[in-house]
Amino acid sequence: MLILGIETATAQVSVAIGGHEGVIALFEVARGRRHAEILAPAVEFVCRQADIELDELGVIAVDTGPGLFTGMRVGLASAKALAQALRIPMIGISSLDLLAFPNRHTDRVVVPVIDARKGEVFWAMYRQVPGGLQQVAPPTVGPVDDLVADLLARSQEALCIGDGAHRYREEILDGYHCEIGEDAHPSAAPLVQLAHARALREEWVNPREITATYLRAPDAQINWSTRERRA
Amino acid sequence: MLLRAESVEVTHAIASAVAGFARAGDVIVLAGDMATGKTAFAQGFGRALGVAEPITSPTFTLVHSYDCGKLTLHHADLYRLERTTEVADLALLELAEFDGIVLVEWGDVARGSFGDHLEVRLDLDPDLADDPAGDPAGDPAGDDVRLIEIEAVGTSWTSRWDRLAAALEPFRC
Repeated sequence: MLILGIETATAQVSVAIGGHEGVIALFEVARGRRHAEILAPAVEFVCRQADIELDELGVIAVDTGPGLFTGMRVGLASAKALAQALRIPMIGISSLDLLAFPNRHTDRVVVPVIDARKGEVFWAMYRQVPGGLQQVAPPTVGPVDDLVADLLARSQEALCIGDGAHRYREEILDGYHCEIGEDAHPSAAPLVQLAHARALREEWVNPREITATYLRAPDAQINWSTRERRA
Repeated sequence: MLLRAESVEVTHAIASAVAGFARAGDVIVLAGDMATGKTAFAQGFGRALGVAEPITSPTFTLVHSYDCGKLTLHHADLYRLERTTEVADLALLELAEFDGIVLVEWGDVARGSFGDHLEVRLDLDPDLADDPAGDPAGDPAGDDVRLIEIEAVGTSWTSRWDRLAAALEPFRC
């Protein structure tokens, strides 16, 4: 079964096609933050170069964040549109899982850190288990100081990766002795790899059920007393 | 800082002065009731940044973006939104962070989510508005008088405040 993976949760746009033989094609642009302009041509390019027609796809996999709102909107809307048009199911995977997965061969705690803007970061923690990674701390959003406090509280050898770890390298290293790894962005390559494992177990969903993970303040009604007063 | 605009042209001039000190990353909240000049402020602001096309109210389109060369002016309007997650979906802070200046009409209802920002509150002059007969002298221009209060929230305007205040001195009440 062929899987198209779409990843737009950070400044990078990443598109991949994978199947039982692993990643077949991968296209990434990490500059410019032009998700809307790049994504559709990237999908077309990857399919054409891999000699795959859209109707050969069996699943659309998508990164559901957390990450950039502006990027995820483009990725989720495009992925859902493709899945609906092709009448195929979807698999949504967290950006933090995607950052952690390529770093699974370490004994350290793997800590993907994604820039959440305004001095905040998204992070989670993973540990190697037979056959993959297990999440040991759930996705969280907070100031960089909170991440450092979380690392200190656990006091384990840690590998931090992601654009948040790079942006706040000094703050993290000042607060806690750990390694900052090279990976900056989640990629569609682990997306199609992880999605393939799930597809084999038929763990897919209807496009309607895919939603973005924002990890932001809980939803509330806007207080429109001013507007109502005038109306 | 409380300013007085006698006409829409003065509102434009005040907006233009503020635009002169604005920089990429700024969020400027435009507060005030219907028809107090929020869009007029945005028009003066955009013109000062070199926006040549007409700036219209984004009430039904939520965000309009204008390319100003090095930066992008985003003009948003929260009036039609009902929930805080809808405000979050607009990702206005991301737009600001990526070489943008964001003007947010009715932004005061979500001011807690914007971090450091400038708040511009426009009101009809109460001395004129409270009088049902309008301007006692019968001057129709009285309808155009606005009080404009400008306040910095957080520290992002601290280093610019004195120069902004000096530029706006002619419009002080």
